[in-house]
Amino acid sequence: MADDVDQQQTTNTVEEPLDLIRLSLDERIYVKMRNDRELRGRLHAYDQHLNMILGDVEETMTTIEIDEETYEEIYKSTKRNIPMLFVQGDGVVLVAPPLRVG
Amino acid sequence: MSLRKQTPSDFLKQIIGRPVVVKLNSGVDYRGVLACLDGYMNIALEQTEEYVNGQLKNKYGDAFIRGNNVMRNWGHCSPDPEPCCLEYSVLLSPQHIFLLLVAWKLEL
Repeated sequence: MADDVDQQQTTNTVEEPLDLIRLSLDERIYVKMRNDRELRGRLHAYDQHLNMILGDVEETMTTIEIDEETYEEIYKSTKRNIPMLFVQGDGVVLVAPPLRVG
Repeated sequence: MSLRKQTPSDFLKQIIGRPVVVKLNSGVDYRGVLACLDGYMNIALEQTEEYVNGQLKNKYGDAFIRGNNVMRNWGHCSPDPEPCCLEYSVLLSPQHIFLLLVAWKLEL
């Protein structure tokens, strides 16, 4: 089909960053968002704005509290699980495969 | 590498495959090999490391950075021994090409 030929031609040229996200469809990904939030979930869909549909998501919200007496920074994280989630693209900072301990 | 009278798209073709530092508005640095870049300044990096003050996380494989987060306004150059090229505000260092994405719009 003509579509397949076109796809083959586009993959021969330099791929756009969005093409590389396409490779992660139906895979688990890690998303770093604004406001110190992180998501880990399965990528079901995305578009050019980075709006995404994620399934089986774990959201981590990180806050830094400063102890008024010792002035030490206390990192706290809150997690919650969401079965199916629409992510607004303008909040997305980074998309990557799930982090491996390195 | 001559950087004079070169369109931004030519410049980008040259730096693809090189180690770069991408600085975000939030102050976080991402260092990695530039895999590709598009007109919205969305960036794909390989072998990415994330630096916030010190080193935080290691990301292996492709990391995609949304273009709107890349720092576009830079008040001053950070001290760097390598020459600063003003046409595209690029600082070249031996280990990394430092992308100062300052005040130029990518017109493709």
